[in-house]
Amino acid sequence: MKIVVAEDEFLIADLLVVSLEEAGHEVHDAAHGADALKLVRSLQPDLVITDFMMPLMTGLELAEAMKADSALQAIPIILVSGAQGAIARSRADLFDLVFDKPYAMERLLTAVSELRGERL
Amino acid sequence: MTQILPRFSTGIPGLDTVFGGGFVEGASYIVQGHPGAGKTILANQIAFATAAAGRNVLYVTLLAETHDRLFQSLSTLSFFEKERLGSNIVYVSVFQTLSKEGLGAVVDLLRKETKRQSASLIVFDGLLNARDRAETDLDVKTFVAEVQSQAAFVGCTVLFLTSAGVQDESPEHTMVDGVLELHEELVGVRTVRRLRPRKSRGSAALGGYHQYEISGDGVSVFPRIEAAFHTPSATDNPDPRPLRSGIEGFDEITGGGLPQGSITLLIGPSGCGKTSFGLNFLSAASPEEPGLHFGFYESRDRLLIKAKALGLDLQGHIERGEVDILWQPLTENLLDKLAYRLFDAVSARGVKRLFIDSLGGFERAAVHPRRLVEFFAALTNELRAMGVTAVGTWELRDLFASGVAAPGPEISSLLDNLIMMRQVEIRSEYKRVMSVLKIRDQSFQAAPQEIHIDGRGLAIKGPFQPATGISTGLAKPLEA
Repeated sequence: MKIVVAEDEFLIADLLVVSLEEAGHEVHDAAHGADALKLVRSLQPDLVITDFMMPLMTGLELAEAMKADSALQAIPIILVSGAQGAIARSRADLFDLVFDKPYAMERLLTAVSELRGERL
Repeated sequence: MTQILPRFSTGIPGLDTVFGGGFVEGASYIVQGHPGAGKTILANQIAFATAAAGRNVLYVTLLAETHDRLFQSLSTLSFFEKERLGSNIVYVSVFQTLSKEGLGAVVDLLRKETKRQSASLIVFDGLLNARDRAETDLDVKTFVAEVQSQAAFVGCTVLFLTSAGVQDESPEHTMVDGVLELHEELVGVRTVRRLRPRKSRGSAALGGYHQYEISGDGVSVFPRIEAAFHTPSATDNPDPRPLRSGIEGFDEITGGGLPQGSITLLIGPSGCGKTSFGLNFLSAASPEEPGLHFGFYESRDRLLIKAKALGLDLQGHIERGEVDILWQPLTENLLDKLAYRLFDAVSARGVKRLFIDSLGGFERAAVHPRRLVEFFAALTNELRAMGVTAVGTWELRDLFASGVAAPGPEISSLLDNLIMMRQVEIRSEYKRVMSVLKIRDQSFQAAPQEIHIDGRGLAIKGPFQPATGISTGLAKPLEA
């Protein structure tokens, strides 16, 4: 799967990228929402995994921008968040899945592969 | 006309006082200190106080530690409110922007983000890490200058946190408006936290070291009272009428009791009746003249038992709210924290009768004993200005001694009245004696008095029998 990861925190981004790559995915990462939106537009990924609190554009704003764009609105979005899980869960229209930090990487990888199963 | 610049309250108890009323709005500060000194707690506490005041905060990190770990440790502190995260406090990491695009890109991102969040406060955590990268494009000095000028443009206050000991002559220092240094150091076997404003542009700060502590409520600063109360906070309005002492026979020999708003030093060796004097004094408390026992030795329950043995209804006074007991065990204490605790307790209840058992408790808490004269000067001036009549005890080391070692002459001269109590051996008997050595502006009988302490309290029975050496405790009767 082609995945765009939006995460400002280096350690978390790094771990996500490495784990997803090891699971056989093609991963592109961005340090904030604005950069991620650019990547999504140019790469048309199969999945976006995003943090909530980021500079320039939050994960929520990124999801809103994608849902407002007919070319991007079908791409599933997973939100990974420290404190805003509740806000995100109230927006089921935006996010397919919400993970609260800290989370087990295994669970996220399983969820990613299940999403792929659904889409195939 | 001189102007007072608008202030930004830090929300940290005592810190606004150190900075002459708070940070200057739209100014920038460096907060520096070794890891563990409490920079991050301090900055987050300011951030949450700012958010609680309805303003927006941008917290920018350049650290490897994840925000999640930060929130985990902050969640043990009472000021942390998880609900504010992502609403009016936003934490963003610019580590990747810095490593991929350099400091110039960070400046740019901060400008956009400040505007986007309408931030009133930016905390930039990790200036040291910026320096590591600085050789690539901008130097740190230029970085600091650019961040602060674009923040000042929109009236935003900036805190730069760094664990590096930024030197006085370092270029960053010259750029910012203020520098706050946090220290944790060993004094003997204990550690003491002290902070110091090293630079404060546009505001008169209280220079030098101030103790602070970190508790479940975050950072509390205790500005040195001799600096913070350089002059008393209220005008001293001495009341010439004496305050009755509550001790039988005492008012008769002192011209009516203790002068109101005076400080009495009660010296004597252990067991001479100092605490009984204090309990009698407090038992004269009333709703108009509330009393406070500020002690280091006996706990509340032990004092109640002692008062009962003296036939004094301390319990009743406490139940009626006329007397309160504040015990601070003589363990590791912070000198100025003790003083603020005392001031707060006095002003909360409008205390008029204060018994401090003993002033030695303050002395033990002093990390720098050379301060004590100025400390006691500020303490006693403030108590007088609050209209408090205070009695403080001082323990003499020797039960029987030829010399009488009162606290240093500088301290004794800060006190208005001086009373000595001791046990005296005479004709193979021990008797208790009280000598009034000095009473401010009142005439008194200077002759040593014999006292009794029994189930009806402490009372003066009359002049001690003619003898020599009474003040040493080993008296010889004057034979007729």
